Amino acid sequence: MNFIKRNQSLNFVIFFFLFSLVVTIASELAMGLFSTSFVKVLGKTMMLCLAAIALDLVWGYCGILSLGHMAFFALGGYLIGMWLMYERTKEIVISAASEQLIPLTPEETKEAIGNQIFGVVGGSDIPIIWIFADSLIIHLLLIVIIPGLLALVFGWLAFRSRVTGVYLSILTQAMTLALSLYLFQNDSGLRGNNGLSGLQNIPGYGNITQDVISVIFLWLSTFALCCGFYLASIITKSKLGNLLVGIRDDEARVRFLGYNVELYKLLIFVVTAIMAAVAGSLYYPQAGIVNPTELAPIASIYLAVWVSIGGRGKLIGAVLGAAFVSLISSFFTSGQIPNIDFWIININWVDWWLIILGLSFVSITLTTQNGLFGLIEKVKERVINK
Amino acid sequence: MKRFFIFVGVMLFASASVASDKDLREFIWTNKASFHKSSSKTISPVIDSLLKLNSGGTEKFLLRWLNKELWFRKSDGLVVTAKKLEKKSYKIFDVIDEQLIEVIDKKKIKQIKPNSGVRAIISSALVQFQLLNADPSIRSKTLDSIARKPDERFRVPLRKAIEIENNLKIKNRMIRLEKLLTVRFEKNISQRVEVIRSLKNDLGIDVRGVLNQIIRTALKAEKVIPDNINISQILEPEKGAIDQYDFLETNHSSTIDGSFTDLDAYLMLVKEEKAPEILTQKKLKDILTQQAEIGNIKREEAHSLDSYYKRNSVLNRLIENGKVEPVVSREDMKNIVAQYVFYEEYAESSREVTNAATETLNLINNRVSVFSFVDLILEGLSLASIYFLAAIGLAITFGVMRVINMAHGEFIMMGAYSGYVVQLFVTNYTLSIVIAIPVAFLVTFFAGIVMERLVIKKLYKRPLETLLATFGISIALQQLAKIVFGTQARPLTSPEWLDGALIFNEIISISWIRVAIFVLSIAFTIILIYVLNRTRFGLETRAVTQNPSMAASMGVNPDQINMFTFGLGSGIAGIAGVGIGLYAKVTSELGNDYIVQSFMTVVVGGVGSIWGTLAGATLIGFLQKLIEWFNPSNTLAAQTYMIIFIIIFIQFRPRGIVALRGRAAGD
Repeated sequence: MNFIKRNQSLNFVIFFFLFSLVVTIASELAMGLFSTSFVKVLGKTMMLCLAAIALDLVWGYCGILSLGHMAFFALGGYLIGMWLMYERTKEIVISAASEQLIPLTPEETKEAIGNQIFGVVGGSDIPIIWIFADSLIIHLLLIVIIPGLLALVFGWLAFRSRVTGVYLSILTQAMTLALSLYLFQNDSGLRGNNGLSGLQNIPGYGNITQDVISVIFLWLSTFALCCGFYLASIITKSKLGNLLVGIRDDEARVRFLGYNVELYKLLIFVVTAIMAAVAGSLYYPQAGIVNPTELAPIASIYLAVWVSIGGRGKLIGAVLGAAFVSLISSFFTSGQIPNIDFWIININWVDWWLIILGLSFVSITLTTQNGLFGLIEKVKERVINK
Repeated sequence: MKRFFIFVGVMLFASASVASDKDLREFIWTNKASFHKSSSKTISPVIDSLLKLNSGGTEKFLLRWLNKELWFRKSDGLVVTAKKLEKKSYKIFDVIDEQLIEVIDKKKIKQIKPNSGVRAIISSALVQFQLLNADPSIRSKTLDSIARKPDERFRVPLRKAIEIENNLKIKNRMIRLEKLLTVRFEKNISQRVEVIRSLKNDLGIDVRGVLNQIIRTALKAEKVIPDNINISQILEPEKGAIDQYDFLETNHSSTIDGSFTDLDAYLMLVKEEKAPEILTQKKLKDILTQQAEIGNIKREEAHSLDSYYKRNSVLNRLIENGKVEPVVSREDMKNIVAQYVFYEEYAESSREVTNAATETLNLINNRVSVFSFVDLILEGLSLASIYFLAAIGLAITFGVMRVINMAHGEFIMMGAYSGYVVQLFVTNYTLSIVIAIPVAFLVTFFAGIVMERLVIKKLYKRPLETLLATFGISIALQQLAKIVFGTQARPLTSPEWLDGALIFNEIISISWIRVAIFVLSIAFTIILIYVLNRTRFGLETRAVTQNPSMAASMGVNPDQINMFTFGLGSGIAGIAGVGIGLYAKVTSELGNDYIVQSFMTVVVGGVGSIWGTLAGATLIGFLQKLIEWFNPSNTLAAQTYMIIFIIIFIQFRPRGIVALRGRAAGD
């Protein structure tokens, strides 16, 4: 009992392993209880949980409310999406040209790909940022490098000038807005508001059906989530974790103790940005499409709200919040619940759900400081005390 | 004696008129067939000679013809006007003196219906009469139509009309239009040049259009330049582009930077079929595919041709074997280009005219760019006032009270919708705006107070959670508005006196709504500065925000002051909503567009100071317009660079432009 209680991350891994096993058995591959799209929803939810863990680390433990982590998340999606879309289009182009007497030269292939991908934004040249799009390995590295670099530069600028608290939140929100506005342009080189699409197909494995792909991504997501959780729990239990909590509670005091506060803040900001980007790179192949609306500042606020509802400062709380709110949201907005006629108002849940959600943010923020997880703990305590 | 002369004059005039009436009738009778069924090709000479008759009745006749009021009798083809008498019988009248001719069965007459081409010719013939019309609005409309379709034959009637025109405004327009027509159609070169030079102070876009048309050039290539042509410049193709030309490129575009290279020259010759095509990848592939189809290339070999070099070697082999014609080489291309002279030729043949037009156009363009800059400053001012208006409420709730209110944008939205609802009940737009402003204030004032009591009050010590809670309120309010008002944009109509624009000249103008927003911003600044610095309430507000417990010990009720301050900030957001609603479309997502910018404005300006917010809005507004000026096609990019600038700006002034010092700064 003691062992189980102490080793939280092992419990976490076992739980999610069993969960994925159950889902796999129930999926269309075996029993057919869960539809492919539902398996994808579960996989996507896990990646949102990973993003929530990242935000919890930086906010719940270090006190930096970043409203930019969903931007890193979407950036990860864009980076994997570039490879997926490029390679997939290449396959289509080559198979379309296989009828011709003379095969395509590399230059012709490139031009045809350019036409296919950028035709919608009125271009045909492949922008320079797509230069590595044919290499999975480089793009996997870029998922780490680019969001990490962005977080490094931005964080360095922000922390150096001692922007803290609410001001930092607004600044990160501005960064997110700038990035999303930039991507909305047609000449951003990433297809403007069309975004990248067709990401659910894996290049080179065109014959694998979606039900298999969904399960593969479920397991990848499980693996990533468990790794993320493990990493996060190592960080929080280490000396670094104590320092982060110290910075959260009284930054000046930690600074006076001789620590380079900015360095630690920067470190955790960059690490969590990369975590969010990795989560995004597994999320968007399951979603199938990534576009600039995913980067809108509101997405990052939602993430913060999930963490807050789940209980910040507790890793499990973040996971709980993200999973609970995003699943219940997709349940309410799926249109499965019948509408209710109430007095003169017709309650259409798809519309009214947002109002319920908004008001529950308010009430949860007001009533509990530790969110759902805190509530569960309290209930547990009472039961044990009795 | 005098009277006698007048009498004689009138008699003479009348007799002349009568005589030409007769002529007109005769003319119509002889040309009746042309009127019965007319086509735009055949009718012009008839109308020209009709105009030459110069009869008093011509205008009336043309008008009737245009309005399909003319009929003709089938028996002899007499052109008449008709009036319906009973079901099937018509009265017909003479076209000129309107005397009743007879009552006739409907079957025996036919209406004349000129087609649209003919109607256009008729109306242009009518121009000379309409220019002399007694109604100034008709004269003015006629000038509009001449400006739309300038034609040489309007010049004479215009000159006549100028002489007798007594409305100064219309007269000036006529003179200007006549000048433009002269510039375009005058045959006498010195007169034309003189008129062109006289236009140098005119900023009108039509003037620039006409002048640009004169100096339009066409790029031409000949072996020897023909004599007697008006050349703008001889172009020397820049050498080197052919050498650098990459045959691997699948499609080549001419250089963008404006220089004229030998490759451009060659491509132009290809287009004019004066030189053989370049062997592009596409053409190479076409040739090889064709050769593979006829069997000159073996199938297996064709399948292996997956690079340019392999294809090229096969092509060379085919050329050596004489199966394909040799392709043009770099040397050939250069030699061909060297044989030609490239020059830009003016469409206008007179050198003096093109010179005068170029000089005048340069003068005009210089003035235009100066005025455009002034206009840019005006636009920046206007954008700044919009940002200021959006941020001013936040300057109080966030700036003074340090409450992060993410629902601020929704208060703006509520204000705009209050205006919309008021307009549903009050149809007089002026009155409804006057009512809407206090209504919007009250609605958002109470909404703010309710929110402060229920939510914000409990979170004063936890600013980050205020952010989340107010965000929750924001999405709930937004969705509520969507349910109540629907997703489509609702109009908030401005009163008539705000329609249109304040026009200084052709370049500088600003819409009255933007002027009104500007005035509103100024008014807000003054009122708020007064309230915060000069009233008891302002003093108490500042005291409470700086040190609530000290303020409380001095007998101020911090609880109450916070409530009213927040209400004031929200109420002001509501009024701002009415102003913004007049200029932007009112949707439930109206607030989203302003919330981040508003926070930026307050942060850049310096938290805690109305002056700071003003400075922040000015900086952001002007900078955004300036960035847009450099890259006018892309407002999104402008906003992106703007935000990046703000992030960097905060590096250097973390506390904003107007930084509070001492205890007031707090932390």
